[in-house]
Amino acid sequence: MVTAGSAGKINKEPGESILSAKRLGKSPLNKRIAVKKVLIIPIILILLFSVLSCQTANTISSGKKSIVVTYSILGAIVKDLVGDKADVTVSIPNGLDPHDWQPSAKDIEKLNHADLVIQNGLGLEGGLQKTLAAARDKGVKFFTASDYVTVRHVGAGEGIPSGDPDQALGAADPHLWMDPLTIKSVVAALAPVFKTDLNLDVSSQAADLENRLDSLNNEITKIVAVIPQENRKLVTGHESMGYFARRYGFKLVGVIIPNLSSQAGVSAADLAELKKAIEDNPVKAIFTELGTSPAVAKAIGDETGVKVVELTTHAVPVDGSYFTFMRNLATVIADALK
Amino acid sequence: MDWLLTPFTNNDFMVQALMAGALVSIACAIAGTFVILRGLAFIGDALGHGVLPGIAVALLVGFPGILGAAISAALMIGGITLITRRSRLSSDTAIGLLFVGMLSLGVVLVSRSNSFSGDLTSILFGEILGISTGAIITQLVATVIIIAIAVICSRPFLLLSFDPEQAQVAGFSYRLYHNLMLLMIAITVIVSFQTVGALLVFGLLIAPAGAGALLSRRIWVMMTYASGLGILSTYLGLLISYHFNLAAGAAIILVTVVIFFIVFITQNMRRSRPKIPLEVTHE
Amino acid sequence: MNSNKKDNKIPVDKTGNSVSETGSTSIIQASNLSIGYGNEVVVADINFELKPQQAIALIGTNGSGKSTLLKAIVGLQPVLGGHLSVFGARPGSNHRRIAYLGQFHASGFVLPLRSIDVVRMGRFPLRGLWQRMTREDDEIIHSAMSAMGIEGLAEYPIRTLSGGQQQRTYLAQVLAHRADLLVLDEPTSGLDAGGRDLYLQAINAEIRRGASAVIATHDIQEEAALCHQVMLLARRVVALGPPQDVLTPEALLATFGIVVTGEKEHLHVIESKHGHD
Repeated sequence: MVTAGSAGKINKEPGESILSAKRLGKSPLNKRIAVKKVLIIPIILILLFSVLSCQTANTISSGKKSIVVTYSILGAIVKDLVGDKADVTVSIPNGLDPHDWQPSAKDIEKLNHADLVIQNGLGLEGGLQKTLAAARDKGVKFFTASDYVTVRHVGAGEGIPSGDPDQALGAADPHLWMDPLTIKSVVAALAPVFKTDLNLDVSSQAADLENRLDSLNNEITKIVAVIPQENRKLVTGHESMGYFARRYGFKLVGVIIPNLSSQAGVSAADLAELKKAIEDNPVKAIFTELGTSPAVAKAIGDETGVKVVELTTHAVPVDGSYFTFMRNLATVIADALK
Repeated sequence: MDWLLTPFTNNDFMVQALMAGALVSIACAIAGTFVILRGLAFIGDALGHGVLPGIAVALLVGFPGILGAAISAALMIGGITLITRRSRLSSDTAIGLLFVGMLSLGVVLVSRSNSFSGDLTSILFGEILGISTGAIITQLVATVIIIAIAVICSRPFLLLSFDPEQAQVAGFSYRLYHNLMLLMIAITVIVSFQTVGALLVFGLLIAPAGAGALLSRRIWVMMTYASGLGILSTYLGLLISYHFNLAAGAAIILVTVVIFFIVFITQNMRRSRPKIPLEVTHE
Repeated sequence: MNSNKKDNKIPVDKTGNSVSETGSTSIIQASNLSIGYGNEVVVADINFELKPQQAIALIGTNGSGKSTLLKAIVGLQPVLGGHLSVFGARPGSNHRRIAYLGQFHASGFVLPLRSIDVVRMGRFPLRGLWQRMTREDDEIIHSAMSAMGIEGLAEYPIRTLSGGQQQRTYLAQVLAHRADLLVLDEPTSGLDAGGRDLYLQAINAEIRRGASAVIATHDIQEEAALCHQVMLLARRVVALGPPQDVLTPEALLATFGIVVTGEKEHLHVIESKHGHD
């Protein structure tokens, strides 16, 4: 039987409260529980963090000036120069490709709060460009190494024309650390900057360092002397040996990755060009380095019969010394080409 | 409690990232609500992929990325419409291939650039830590536009989500309001790729709104929850990224997904309890 | 029960036309009408007229063309041939005056909507994009929900309601519109006996208020018998006219392919073979 008038009533389940037609929706108790459930999420997450982040203590400034150097090789030099008179931090971890490394939040923070930022310039630190520009706008003090050196430019026949603006004739080469005397110019420029911007006197250390760099230069000249003139050809994974070649009389031959940076991929046409270049310029060895595809290097080596040797061009060795770095480099080259 | 706040009090760029992320969250909450209610998740994903070639071309040639994104998003939507119109059968395969094609095209184009992998990373995963004031203002304008569209079209959007036929009969042109909705979603994706990236914006579109749908009985409450959860995710994501040195954009998205699953699980636990019966009395 | 039914029925004259003052203005006029999907004609050569304060029932199996005709009337499907005018204009041009209830709901049940929100949507065609809902709107919504017996369910999300309760909600939405023409596809599907009674009362109230109705239904007994006209469809118009003339065993056989059991007044339709291919 249908009772039209009772249409509004709702069945009462034993133990449940009656919902009258007036009372709308969930009871206040249910609503509070619902709200609480939502709040639980952030509370749990925050508690998780308090447990996990206990270790990350903020490094309180020790009163020393903070210098941030963008990459490790230049950082080695700065540390040599400054000793422990200042806190020197390197942004890009040693061994990582400086060209496309991206900073984390803490890295950006360090850069923004530095007393002095030392960068290479000429676009070496590709992934950092935006951050560096922003820091500059904020008024952070900058020192750009490339401002104080005789910049090398890409010469004819040194790279494979690929249409990249970086590879074009006349493009600036950022790999200025490959020549001790170029570094010497940087050191010479740094000392007065430390005095004015950081109130640090490192003039004696600078003089000492410059002398040692001169000695290093002589050393390397001797090491590579064993290589006969006709073997002084450098075919490397990417065009980073320019300054070394200029200083010590080597010729650069077309490269596997046709760009001054290590990021672009390899095209088939470029590889074919390289093969032809090697056939035109017989070499004893080709050198792979950071960013070069080992498979490609091996393929070339197999096809043309040349030795494939690995060079470390972007990373400081275990002892953290620039000098060891350059000596190793020179020795490997000499052994391969003599 | 210090570590909850100092990353932000110490650093302007963190505050800017938070602002950008909050604005994106609000836009995504509103657009995402309708994506979920109307089952348009597929389209949201498509847009995320579809903007890539446009952004790549814009980067190479030198005009604003947003313009490129808009153009290729329009092409993507056009492509999908064409495919679905032509075949009555499921067009999943064709649309899926369109995604892959657009993505590959984008990568191929970006590979012509000098800073290939850096650019690709920033397009796919965003650059929230390096966001400029200009980008924040663009985001603000876009968010305001989206709020405006949602408010003005609230009734037809509601009808459209409830029953497209009813909407048409009630005098709200299905085509007009459906396209407006797509436009709203497209604007959200196009502008948001700067903060969290083209791939991840999809997560920010769906996860907070999905959680909101589980928590609310009314659409506007759902949007509020979605906005709140999105902003919370931005804050927590940035915090995680700072303290653990992790990618910021991805951290934010990860948090939104985790929050969604927490809500999902707790809601399902609630459902297993007996409901208040709703039967009307009759014999 | 029979006496109840007579009370609900609108007075008619011998020919089955309602005695109303609005004269001969047609609500719906169809002549030589062909309807279908795409290019495929489902029913051809339909001719009928719906006058004010009248109700016409469309009876036929699924696929017989009922839903297609309803959709053509509200403008969801284009007319494939012939002539169809609603309120003297093209179908679909008078949305403020027409309320439609489809057979299936495309609505996603993820939707966070309360049942009162669903009913409220019935006022949207009248209020458009901008106009605020007034107290009068709220009263109409409330009385529509009362008429279907669901005002106690107002705050419940529609997804938590049973099938019958949902159907009542959709009907309340139609009632809230206060339309001049109701176009309903299987309005009683899923309703229990109490719901059906409320629905019948509500429809009759609407007609008394001045509305007209086109109703596709399986419910020959109650609904069709109450309408002024009945159209039997089986991919063609099998019969059209007042219920007592049309609802004969022969006509029903042609429509459904049935076996009639029981007394003539209570016709039971058992489909064994469709009256169309």
